Amino acid sequence: MAELMANSGRCTYFFLYDGTKVQGEGDPTREGICYFYPEQTPVDQQELLCGQLAGVGRCVSELSSSPVRVLRLRHSKFAIKMEDDFFWALGCAMDFPTVSMCDRLDQLIKLFCFYNGPVRQSYQTNSRETLALCWSRYLFYLQAGATELHHIFSCLRTIDSTHIDPLLLLKAALILQACQRCPLVLAGCILFRGRVVSTQMPPCLTVRVMAHETQTYNKDERLNGVSSSFPLSRAVTSTTVHLTLSELQDLRSTTVDRESRPHSTPSQGSRPRRTRLSRTLSDTPSTESNPDLEPEPPGKPMRLDAPLSPGLSRGAEQRVATPTNDPLLSPASPRFPEISPLTNQKGPRRGGQEEEDEEDGPLEKSRYYSFHSPDGNTSQTEFQGEAPPPTDASPLGNPPPTGRRAPEREGSPEGRAASGGSGGGRRSGGDILPGAGVKDRTVVPMTLYQHRVKGLLLALLVEPHLQRDTEAMEEVYHSSLASLNGLEAHLRTVAPGPAGLQGPYTFAHYDCVQNTLTTNVSGRAGGDQDHSFVRATSLLHTHFCNSDALQEAIIRSARTAVYATRSVAQETYFLQHGGALRNSGVPNHQDTAFTLPSKARHRLLKHGVSLL
Amino acid sequence: MKCLLIASESAEVLFYWTDPEFRQNVQDQYGASQEEGQRPPAFEDSLNTLFAPIIISCSTMVDRLGDSYACFTTENQHNYVLHQFDECLYIAVNGDGQECEDDLRRKIYVMKKMIEVLFGMVNLSSNLLRKELRPQDTEQRTALWKHLQGLLETYSRLRDNDQSFLVEAVERLIHPTLCEQCIEFLERRLLPALNSSSERSGEEVLHAFILVHTKLLAFYSSRNTSTLSPSDLLALIVMTQSMYPSHTDQEDHGPEDVESVSVSGLEMFYTPQPSPTNRSSSGSERTAREDTPVFEFVDPDIQIAEDSLITLEVSPPDPLAPTRVFLEVSLKDGLYPMMPHSMYCRPLWPGITLVLLTKIPNSSVAMSVYSYLEAFAKLEKRLSEGQEGPAAARGQPTVHDLRSKLDKFIKALGPCDIQTSQLQNVWSEFKKRAFTRGGPGFTRELIPWCKSMKTQLCGVYKQCFLNATTRGADAPQRLSPALQELAQAMVQETLVDWKDFLLVKSKRNITMVSYPDFPGLVHFICVDRSSGQMIAPSLNITERSTSELGGGPLAQFIRGKVWGLVRTARQYLQKGYSTATLRDGDFYFCYFLWFENETGYKLDEVDLPVLPDDSPPIGVLARDYYRKLLRYYSKTHAGEVVKCYELLTVHLGVIPTEYILQHCRQLASKLWEPSRNPLL
Repeated sequence: MAELMANSGRCTYFFLYDGTKVQGEGDPTREGICYFYPEQTPVDQQELLCGQLAGVGRCVSELSSSPVRVLRLRHSKFAIKMEDDFFWALGCAMDFPTVSMCDRLDQLIKLFCFYNGPVRQSYQTNSRETLALCWSRYLFYLQAGATELHHIFSCLRTIDSTHIDPLLLLKAALILQACQRCPLVLAGCILFRGRVVSTQMPPCLTVRVMAHETQTYNKDERLNGVSSSFPLSRAVTSTTVHLTLSELQDLRSTTVDRESRPHSTPSQGSRPRRTRLSRTLSDTPSTESNPDLEPEPPGKPMRLDAPLSPGLSRGAEQRVATPTNDPLLSPASPRFPEISPLTNQKGPRRGGQEEEDEEDGPLEKSRYYSFHSPDGNTSQTEFQGEAPPPTDASPLGNPPPTGRRAPEREGSPEGRAASGGSGGGRRSGGDILPGAGVKDRTVVPMTLYQHRVKGLLLALLVEPHLQRDTEAMEEVYHSSLASLNGLEAHLRTVAPGPAGLQGPYTFAHYDCVQNTLTTNVSGRAGGDQDHSFVRATSLLHTHFCNSDALQEAIIRSARTAVYATRSVAQETYFLQHGGALRNSGVPNHQDTAFTLPSKARHRLLKHGVSLL
Repeated sequence: MKCLLIASESAEVLFYWTDPEFRQNVQDQYGASQEEGQRPPAFEDSLNTLFAPIIISCSTMVDRLGDSYACFTTENQHNYVLHQFDECLYIAVNGDGQECEDDLRRKIYVMKKMIEVLFGMVNLSSNLLRKELRPQDTEQRTALWKHLQGLLETYSRLRDNDQSFLVEAVERLIHPTLCEQCIEFLERRLLPALNSSSERSGEEVLHAFILVHTKLLAFYSSRNTSTLSPSDLLALIVMTQSMYPSHTDQEDHGPEDVESVSVSGLEMFYTPQPSPTNRSSSGSERTAREDTPVFEFVDPDIQIAEDSLITLEVSPPDPLAPTRVFLEVSLKDGLYPMMPHSMYCRPLWPGITLVLLTKIPNSSVAMSVYSYLEAFAKLEKRLSEGQEGPAAARGQPTVHDLRSKLDKFIKALGPCDIQTSQLQNVWSEFKKRAFTRGGPGFTRELIPWCKSMKTQLCGVYKQCFLNATTRGADAPQRLSPALQELAQAMVQETLVDWKDFLLVKSKRNITMVSYPDFPGLVHFICVDRSSGQMIAPSLNITERSTSELGGGPLAQFIRGKVWGLVRTARQYLQKGYSTATLRDGDFYFCYFLWFENETGYKLDEVDLPVLPDDSPPIGVLARDYYRKLLRYYSKTHAGEVVKCYELLTVHLGVIPTEYILQHCRQLASKLWEPSRNPLL
């Protein structure tokens, strides 16, 4: 997908105003301005906007006993957040969807808190200048690079899976799983040149982790100076980050679940243990895995059961059936010396995992953040697809039935933004922890471990004391090092390929759960059709967000007709190019606009989008 | 939790309306901040204090940023919409989720429209309008505000309950024979009888129409008269309904169960209301008015806190006095907005009203004033654009033309008992500057003089058309009471046998059972935007029936869907989409807007204008969007009569799309061909 600075998605203004600094009559408004973008704005203009907007915001929120959320002027509009006497405003162009604008402000604030902790506290301990630098970076990051469509859906940027060997994605997922075996590792993701390769985290967290990646990749200055080199290698750094209690709970529930899985414990210790953390497919003896892999019906849709696995299109599945001796992978998988102390340390859990390895193939039992309920066994069965877990030999889970997996998107816009589309996961976390809403505001410091191999980055959210646990550190490092090198080498050689699969149509497919977008809108061409497609999409997306019951829509102007459909888990938009619309205008069943649904179903199949 | 406020730039309240919840909310907030034992301040003052920061910030933003607030939304979904017309800032608030942003903006524009209808060209001078909206005299102010509040409430009630006000098009009673008879009666008997009478004091009846609730039974305009625009007609219906409300709609939509609704509905129907025709009891009209929930406070605490507005009881206006209304007139030489008319509203029976619109004798003054105002406005524009000297003096009509005409005009006003001294002063000052040799001539310095000329002209207009009649006191000109009685009696006599039928018919104008050829069709609305009329099966049927949508939850649900569909369709239309089909829950909605020529030939679509978010609401009552649209479309179809239609349908979702679209097509072609429509 080509990079394009989308115009309408760009923010026009952003500021943070601290009401506590301007309380007396004589206090100048500028005292309250913590950050103002664009920074070159004259101070009196800054004062005007901050003073007036914050003043009016307070007045309205007193009248309605509720904070202001959206403030619109004739020529611009602002998403507003009022909390603890702070007043944030993010201004966007008028044609940018309001829903997306509010999402972005929430994202921005959460991103700030993720790296800097609570706002009030960070302004007490840091200078305005330092934090201004942070705000401007985050702001730049959130609106950089992607197409306008990406801004509308506020989605993650993923690697273009159509040009990548699916095995590489599988490999990435394996690396993450291997790391997760260390109990101090909560979840991780692998990024390549600013795009997600694989992630175990909910989309909202992945976005935040990526912000740091983008900076370090761009060889920017270190953020806040909190990064520190590890003794192991210069490639490894770590940063303190802050998670809310509920976010942490969601991540940790994974670990809890791993221990409590009933069907893995009985045979614990009865089998020979494999004592490596790292296993790639090629590590697994072919005698073990091949027979297990083959029963998978070839036509069955398969995916990594990772929450994000952009790489597996249908065409790839067949290749997965005999992966073990794939020459692609062999250089990247040297065998590691066994790290026995760790294995002993984590005895029971390790045992459980090992046992599965022998029987079920390496990937099947991996845990993911969002689809867990406390009784892991049953829910696991559901999410893994038709095959019951103990015999499901495929390293690839089936995509879960959409209905089950999908979060309810119609919650408050804020909730949507907070969870970044992974609402289901968050909600289940909330069930375990009543009062998670209250805990959203208390933050827990955690560590973001990052291991960079050129353009590739392994980012792990780890418990802070991992840094003191040299053994564990080494283990995590060594177990992933070689695989990362191999993965990087492969990803580097992948040719960028043409942007998207072009055709006589334009489409966008938004996955609400993974928060990803598949589209053939290049952005660079910026043709008339593309423009009207984006316009229609933003209208329809807003409509979908505001209406519970709306399932599909066709809207038509004189020149274009756009078809949109959504389920709980996805939204799809489709425009057919070429030729004037026949029979347009009057009610007529021969109107070409009404053939769009069937065309969309047909055309999008080859993009892996099933509308059936 | 609703509120509408009009404030001047200096944050003076020019008008307000709130519902009881909002009032309570404000008083609670205010009570909290008051010290013990102090009497809470008058409600208007609290309101003023609460909104003042917003109003002041708004003008600061306009002055310093050239932009102003359009809307606020809070996290608990309260909506605030702001709009500035000249120097008056309108703020509409909703905190109960019943009105979206578009509804609030519409309400503001409708309020503005009502003020235009009531005050005409005084609207063009903020200074004069401010004084009109907030008369110094408390009693007058109370009366005026109460009147405006009544109009606003009537409008809101109609918008929420009446399909014709939902889509803003007039609904006719569908009974061709009867309608024809009535029109003939108005044409051949009523208008000649009135216009030939010597008791008409120089007034001439131009338009006459009969309303059954909000539906039009017959409408007749005398020959060579400009047509009444749909926008004005809708505004007049709101005024009529405000004077003589029919409550049936409200009752029907109560969430009671079907049984009780049907009973109460029938009762509503046949229980005669106190007849407002009885002139001797002057309270009759008041009773009718007080039935509208203007200020029905049950809580004694609230009543204690009432300020002067409510405690001062106003003497009701004379029911025979006409209402001065300012309507658009289109003549051969152009369009004249806000021309004075008198409206006589005669209730025939509860729910059935005769409305007469007359031309008043000196209405030509209004036309002159309007053309002078226009000329000065144009001159001002040219000067402010930097044109100076003779270039600015040119234009249509030329300033020299204007000079002689205005001189004559002022001279002619002299004997009319109108104070023109100020106008004369300003005019001679203007002439001195503009026309004297060696004077400044046509330069920027003349701009303030253009402005004060406009103010003076508005002042004259106000003296001519607003002072005499609006207060209802001894109006010099009007159809005599006897003549009004005569008109009323004539129509009553004609319709007496039909009266009960009409009342029933107005409730079940057409019903879905008349459309057996459309299986799965739940509801539709078809609008002819060229004539401003609509057809839709009635949704407020009270009788229990298995074959149609009755009252009760289902009808209520469908109603909600239909109202939502209209809202959605407008959103897409605003952004240039003329067709939308939506699968929503168990229903399938379609919306189409298209153009035809006179013979019914479907015309090609063109790109519709894409409007900004804060543009006037799409509709007719406040600003006629469709008239603009037709004009826009006609540009590409010169010499052809272009007609514009809209069709909205609601189908069951299980019906295959193909059939649904076929239905739409059949409906579209069937409805406006009288011969083929079973009910037309």
